[in-house]
Amino acid sequence: MSEYHADSQEFRYIGKPVKRNDGPEKVSGTAQYAGDIVLSGMLHARLLTSPYAHARILSIDTCAAEALPGVRAVITGEHGSVKVGIYMQDKSVIATDTVRYQGEIVAAVAADTVEIAREAVSLIKVDYEPLEVLNDVRKAVEPDAMLLHPHLGTYAHSVGVFFPEPGSNIANHTRIRRGNLEEGFKQADLILENSFEQNQVLHVPLETHVTLVQWGVDDQIKIWSSGQSPFSVRDLFSIAFGIPRANIEVNIPFVGGGFGGKAGIHLEPLVALLSKAAGGRPVKLEPTREEECQTLPCRQGQVARIKTGCTRDGKIVAEQVEILWDAGAYADYGVNIGRASATSACGPYHIPNICVDAKTVYTNHLYGTAYRGFGHPEVFFAVERQRDLMARELGMDPTEFRLKNLLYPGDETITGELITENTGSPDKCLKRAIELIDAQTPYTEAEKEQMAATGKLRGKAAAVLQKAPAMPTWSASSALVQMNEDGSVRISVSGVDYGQGTYTILRQIAAERLKMPIEDVYINKSVITPLSPYDWQTVASRMTSICGMAVMEACDDLIKQIREIGAIALRAAAHEVEFDNAEVYVRQNPQYRIAFGKIAMGYIYENGNAVGGPLIGRGKAIAQGLSNLDEHTGQGKAALDWTYGAHAVEIEVELATGDIEVLQMATVIDAGRVMNEQLLHGQIVGGALQGLGCTFSEVLLHDDQGRLLTRNFTDYKIPTFKDMPRKMYTDVVETPQLDGPYGARGAGEHPLISVTSTVANALANATGLEFYDLPLSAWRVWTKLQEQQQKQQEVQE
Amino acid sequence: MPAYLHPTTLAEAFESLGEGTETRYLAGGTDLIVQLRDGFIAPDALMDVKALPELQGIKTTEEALEIGAAASCGQLLASEHVGYGCTVLKQAASTLANSLLRNRATLIGNLCNASPGADMAPASLVLQGVLTTVSPGGGRTIELRDFFTGVKKHVLEPNELVTKISFPLTKGRGIYLKKRRIHGHDLAQVGVAGFHDTDGSFRLALGAVATTPLLLDDFGRLSTTELASQREEIVAEAVGAAKPISDIRASKEYRLAMVRLFTERIVDAFANETEVQR
Amino acid sequence: MTTKSLHLTVNGEVYDAFVSENATLLTFLRDVLGLTGTKEGCGAGECGACTVILNGLPVNSCMVLALECEGAEVRTIESEYQNGELSNLQQAFIEYNAFQCGFCTPGMIMSARALLEANPHPSRDDIREAMEGNLCRCTGYDSIIAAIESVGVSAS
Repeated sequence: MSEYHADSQEFRYIGKPVKRNDGPEKVSGTAQYAGDIVLSGMLHARLLTSPYAHARILSIDTCAAEALPGVRAVITGEHGSVKVGIYMQDKSVIATDTVRYQGEIVAAVAADTVEIAREAVSLIKVDYEPLEVLNDVRKAVEPDAMLLHPHLGTYAHSVGVFFPEPGSNIANHTRIRRGNLEEGFKQADLILENSFEQNQVLHVPLETHVTLVQWGVDDQIKIWSSGQSPFSVRDLFSIAFGIPRANIEVNIPFVGGGFGGKAGIHLEPLVALLSKAAGGRPVKLEPTREEECQTLPCRQGQVARIKTGCTRDGKIVAEQVEILWDAGAYADYGVNIGRASATSACGPYHIPNICVDAKTVYTNHLYGTAYRGFGHPEVFFAVERQRDLMARELGMDPTEFRLKNLLYPGDETITGELITENTGSPDKCLKRAIELIDAQTPYTEAEKEQMAATGKLRGKAAAVLQKAPAMPTWSASSALVQMNEDGSVRISVSGVDYGQGTYTILRQIAAERLKMPIEDVYINKSVITPLSPYDWQTVASRMTSICGMAVMEACDDLIKQIREIGAIALRAAAHEVEFDNAEVYVRQNPQYRIAFGKIAMGYIYENGNAVGGPLIGRGKAIAQGLSNLDEHTGQGKAALDWTYGAHAVEIEVELATGDIEVLQMATVIDAGRVMNEQLLHGQIVGGALQGLGCTFSEVLLHDDQGRLLTRNFTDYKIPTFKDMPRKMYTDVVETPQLDGPYGARGAGEHPLISVTSTVANALANATGLEFYDLPLSAWRVWTKLQEQQQKQQEVQE
Repeated sequence: MPAYLHPTTLAEAFESLGEGTETRYLAGGTDLIVQLRDGFIAPDALMDVKALPELQGIKTTEEALEIGAAASCGQLLASEHVGYGCTVLKQAASTLANSLLRNRATLIGNLCNASPGADMAPASLVLQGVLTTVSPGGGRTIELRDFFTGVKKHVLEPNELVTKISFPLTKGRGIYLKKRRIHGHDLAQVGVAGFHDTDGSFRLALGAVATTPLLLDDFGRLSTTELASQREEIVAEAVGAAKPISDIRASKEYRLAMVRLFTERIVDAFANETEVQR
Repeated sequence: MTTKSLHLTVNGEVYDAFVSENATLLTFLRDVLGLTGTKEGCGAGECGACTVILNGLPVNSCMVLALECEGAEVRTIESEYQNGELSNLQQAFIEYNAFQCGFCTPGMIMSARALLEANPHPSRDDIREAMEGNLCRCTGYDSIIAAIESVGVSAS
């Protein structure tokens, strides 16, 4: 790779090509996912969901369903009115009086077989009174808008973190104020205001939210779930049902993709209630793809308005951003996406005068939740489009414009955090991405002639991205590193590795720290809450950084114990004890060594006396120094660390069809320290293609009654093997993070951010078409090309 | 739950048709099984017709290419019998769904599903396909041009079974162009097939732009020069015949524009005897 | 529920079973034979997670009724691991990091296996064409192509 790599020669395992350790079971099909688990006496669940986006439930008749042989439980809102949630408890387990989106769960059945459950569902009669549908986020914030949650003021939420506005549809309003906006705009020579709009999109994990629960005797709850958040599930379940945490066992087997959509709590309470109603028999619910699309949550939609003031020489002096998040029917997770998006609302730029309002707004759409990038892919579509549009107004090269305004050491972010030499380098990422595909070089006359002749116009562009983990100030991880009898070690954490490679990175960290062969470092590949150490959630690209720090501390704790028992066994002072290659020795006498296996469970003298005992290292890490943001100004410490990056693309637009081909794409991330190049490359390429899906084809469409039109893979198209960019380059910048393990910071979500804006900017450069919304499907591009042509003709006439 | 019937002779098949019950014929199943799963259909029985001898194989006789109702699109793609003019069938089959489904999906199943956007319909229409059917009362032949009557509707009687489709042998040239939302597996936003026979006859067929696939074959015999000189008239006729709707997959205007574009490209390729622009 | 007898060979073993008339090959493999390596991602032939090789051809097992497989020969992901050794494709998938969550992986490998049997040295375009029906949301596909390509190359 490039000169941007820091020298990593001193490491044994950090940055080395270590293979992931879940390979054999995954490639052989023996990895057990939630759907593969079968328990004796297990029942199967099916759902009845609302055909209306907004309706009052007048009555539900379950008699016929209950009478069907083989049906063991039928539950409705009567049984499931308890509200469960992580940030804003606005959603009951089953809809009670009102349904607020099409696909909302109205009743559920547990039966001996899936077929019986399905038939029983068809026998449930629901009387609805359809209500007016609120399907536009802009209408939802009008003063006289119908209220979807009249009791918003009573919903439990994190006070002082989220700011709901009862009496409106605004579940949270985060404000950021800095400098003096009015004065700032006065200094501006040029003011540009634009609105950007994005529909909701889907996560599309290949495995749906499969959930298996047994509500056993004495309220002993066992959950197996395809989830990202074992301890959050336990925590939120406990709060909702008033059951002690110790009674709740959450098992996370292998998980078939999450992308944020499996963070927090989902179907576990529902299936638990079914199990309880069925007398404690275990119940499995395997949502269909259609249910995954219509009933389980999506990524939120967004309408963003940005007003930017610039001096003639290209310095941004003021910016006002208003973001309306289409949270859909419920905003439990959405409020935090709104908050996080506000902290990034101006991108990695130094702007002295700022006003940001991010509002999370209820509509009758499918409800939103965390999605890879946590609001940033949407915000950066708006911000990075706006930067190119502004540069064009200024007559300035967009890269020069960005470089002039990016954050540099000594600057402060919009929430008042100081940028240092170690924060990361968006400028280096941008330059490198541009370099990789030669994005600054203008096309030659010959190339332009060829484009004109073929009707295929090419365009290039680049854009930057940033994201910090968005999480509560107290979010923490812990880790255990236990020595086995043979001197090997076993790591236990409760972060879930659903493919991102966390467990491999944690093994690398432990092997490095313990200076022992990585083959002797194992990690538990499933999480079981009573046995695994606490972790808040597997989200926010926080595993390598925070869980990694916990593993480091656990290794250090283990090392201390190794030294103590080593000192006894070697008859030396603890500070004289060294270790290497799974052996301890006295520093001045390295020839004589005792294997870890001899001290792992205690050291035994020749006469049988034994000292010490099993060695267990314990480590923890918490998001250090985060603070709640001020309610009125949004100032505070929002970010544990910032990961920056950039994309550059070259596209080719076929004028006749509107088809866009990605000829080449480069993505560069400032990962702080590359822990494992192959895994990072996998995250980048996968994230970039997911971003291209959001760019070209992925979009949730509703009809005017709020009914979802894109209900499954027939009309929700994600990229296939044939939809890859023709060339894809990845690279990294390494600006070490001072508080990251070996300087590393998270990079799992980031490759998806700014893909849409980069391509849309390239489209503008190729054709002059300015898109303010998505997707850039051939049909929409062609339509805009026609409008452009018509305008040009009118001008000529 | 429908019963599963698996006859090995036609006689057995027709014997097992129940009085007053609905039986659906199962060939590839790639549409039928989804419809069953989603509850769109609830027949009393599924009759797997893949073992019936009359439905087997892909072969050429002296006059025709014959494709049995049990032949999958994958078999069609691999078949040496599908050559010369009939290769347009291969072009169409290669765009149908994805390589996995093509190993099950059949050409005739695709036609009998009678979707307006059925990928095999335009190519089969320009090749002047003729269906052969059997039913308890006998059998008949149906020209494909007379087959489709509406969205998911056709002229088959209940229990009438298509055994094969025959295409007159030809050494002409066919082209199928399909517009979809992504490069991978997707339904057609628009499909256009064109055929220029050695005798000069020229035919077009359009998919996904009306309630049924459309065949336009009143152009008469055209030399390559005439094709070039009548390009605009041909295109106007194609665009005029198309009656597309706007839906989530494309707008009416876009569909019309793609009909225009694809027709132009097909005519140009025939007129200039060049590769078609894809 | 009515069941019918089914006789078929799965991964070289002969089975005589009674299956529900509407059971798909996928549910038969998973629920009756316990071969849970084959996954359901969509139930509609759009994702390929359920890919198995039926009489030599890769198919979506969710789109085939079990009873349609009378007398058939079926191979699933479980057939790849033989005599305690991962197959060349399985090893290549590990080598090239050609999976992340792993849910699509069994179907990917079966599609790739069928491709390599039909075409031992596929080009990258051949691979894209043959694998189009297998969706992966994690990897971005390039590592999967590299893995399959490497097996094709090493077979020469």
